[in-house]
Amino acid sequence: MKVFKPQNIFLAVVFVILYLPIIYLIVYSFNKGEYMTGWGGFSFKHYGELFSDNRMIEIVIDTMIVAFLSSLIATIIGTIGAFWVYQSKNKPANSLLYLNSVLMVSPDVIIGASFLILFTAVGISLGFTSVLLSHIAFSIPIVVLMVLPKLKEMPRTLVEASADLGATNYQTLSNVIIPYIQPGIAAGFFMALTYSLDDFAVTFFVTGNGFSTIAVEIYSRARQGISLEINALSTMMFIVSLILVAVYYFISNNNSKKTRGAR
Amino acid sequence: MSQPIIELKNVSLNYNDVRVLHNVDMEIEQGKFYTLLGPSGSGKSTILSLISGRLFPTEGDVFIDGKNVSNLPANKRQVNTVFQNYNLFPNMNVYENVAYGPNLKKLPKARVDELVKQMLSLVRLDEFIDREISELSGGQQQRVAIARALANEPKVLLLDEPLSALDYKLRKEMQYELREIQQRLGITFIFVTHDQEEALAMSDWIFVMQDGRIEQNGTPVDIYDEPINHFVADFIGEANIVDGVMKEDYLVNFAGKDFKNVDAGMRPNERVEVVIRPEDLDIVAPAKGKLQVTIDDQSFRGDFYEITAIDDYGNEWAVQETNPAKIGQRRGLNFDPEDIHIMRLAETEEEFDARIESYED
Repeated sequence: MKVFKPQNIFLAVVFVILYLPIIYLIVYSFNKGEYMTGWGGFSFKHYGELFSDNRMIEIVIDTMIVAFLSSLIATIIGTIGAFWVYQSKNKPANSLLYLNSVLMVSPDVIIGASFLILFTAVGISLGFTSVLLSHIAFSIPIVVLMVLPKLKEMPRTLVEASADLGATNYQTLSNVIIPYIQPGIAAGFFMALTYSLDDFAVTFFVTGNGFSTIAVEIYSRARQGISLEINALSTMMFIVSLILVAVYYFISNNNSKKTRGAR
Repeated sequence: MSQPIIELKNVSLNYNDVRVLHNVDMEIEQGKFYTLLGPSGSGKSTILSLISGRLFPTEGDVFIDGKNVSNLPANKRQVNTVFQNYNLFPNMNVYENVAYGPNLKKLPKARVDELVKQMLSLVRLDEFIDREISELSGGQQQRVAIARALANEPKVLLLDEPLSALDYKLRKEMQYELREIQQRLGITFIFVTHDQEEALAMSDWIFVMQDGRIEQNGTPVDIYDEPINHFVADFIGEANIVDGVMKEDYLVNFAGKDFKNVDAGMRPNERVEVVIRPEDLDIVAPAKGKLQVTIDDQSFRGDFYEITAIDDYGNEWAVQETNPAKIGQRRGLNFDPEDIHIMRLAETEEEFDARIESYED
């Protein structure tokens, strides 16, 4: 086997460039010194600092709650929306789909700014609620985009077969349709989760006093010079992301094994 | 006569303002194997959809067991369908697929188990009960689809071109098996196909369809031997169809000669179409033949030679012979009076049946 083919080397270089800063950051999270310059020996002290930093722990938990809740609600709304687009054959549904795509590509800054205007106009106080609402809002298009192709891929005759065997619409939905599109729903949920976890721009606009997420907190702390506590936090977030990716990979792999060639 | 299990009364269907089914009347009896036969777009699958409840008639009524079900949705009808593309549920294994219907009916677990095992053994898939659908071949998936539909214990099983995705050998095998399953269970099968060979081999009764109308219905032998019109004669098997004149009862003129035949009941000198099947024609010495022809072409078909011959009036005759002929040779064609079938132009099925009855008893 030839490993040193040009394309392999290129790939390796790209991956090194992409991952080197992260590895650099992770390595320095174990530094005994206070800065990212000069290795002073191995230590867990920054992790200790992190876990004794109550404000940080609170923010991490808040971030998790927002991410989980927003992606859960967005998954439910987005899936229903995908059904609606799938079912209706008329124009409005299709133009809605275009609007959906516009939301996906428009810059976060603009979405964030517009939410800020909306929330202040309507009189919703900035904080947990506003962050949650905006996260739900920008996650819905992602879910629709993940669920709709699965629905379109499903043969309509599968629904007919279920009805033919005596199933009511509800039974067909829960026994046949939901299991069929479930990989799309899971993908949508996990995508929404990651988007919510690492969103900075939108959250930055709509968060108020006393409520913050990891991304916003890191940004504000970084302006005062990065303490290695941030490195420790980033390392842990990176590991969480890795686990999420692994879980997602496992789910989708498992499903494709089941559905392959079954028609 | 006992009450038909399914009855279509004057059923018409519009699809996007286009009439796809015209005044169809149909009676289906208990325990027989029916086939709806026709080219694609002839409305045969549409009729199946009307019976199963996937479509509802624009006009007319559908009866199942004497009850008008015209507006009853599919899940409330006691008929089940085997689909062309199987439509097995990919998220369930073989057992769960077959148990789907019985479970919806909330039958006790022991009864569901029994039904699933019984149906799987009927389609000879006992061993596959715990397999995933993706692990099965096309033929096996088709069997599971049949077992799944039968597990619901329908009064009528509808089969929508279930064999068309299978290869030739497997198709033959499944034809035989389907027929056997039908006879063993004694329930009614309504089978849709565009394959006339399949229809002739399997059915008790065939409905031949074209353009949303039933052209003719009858036993396979009736339809093959006495097609009512050009379309049916041409669609079922191969046929030589030439123009002729019915001079009087039992005497027809075509290809410049008079021939004795066995049809009657037309007006004297009525213009008709004459049908002779290729396998009824024999190639003989020119002097012994009723028609003199020149051999034009021949092709080898494995179990016979398909020979094309042209008579002196320019009519082409397809002949099936076990022995080859020489192209360009002058030969005779021989046939019996019973081999000649006469079709009147634009005769309806009722008129046809009435006329046959008037002289056949």
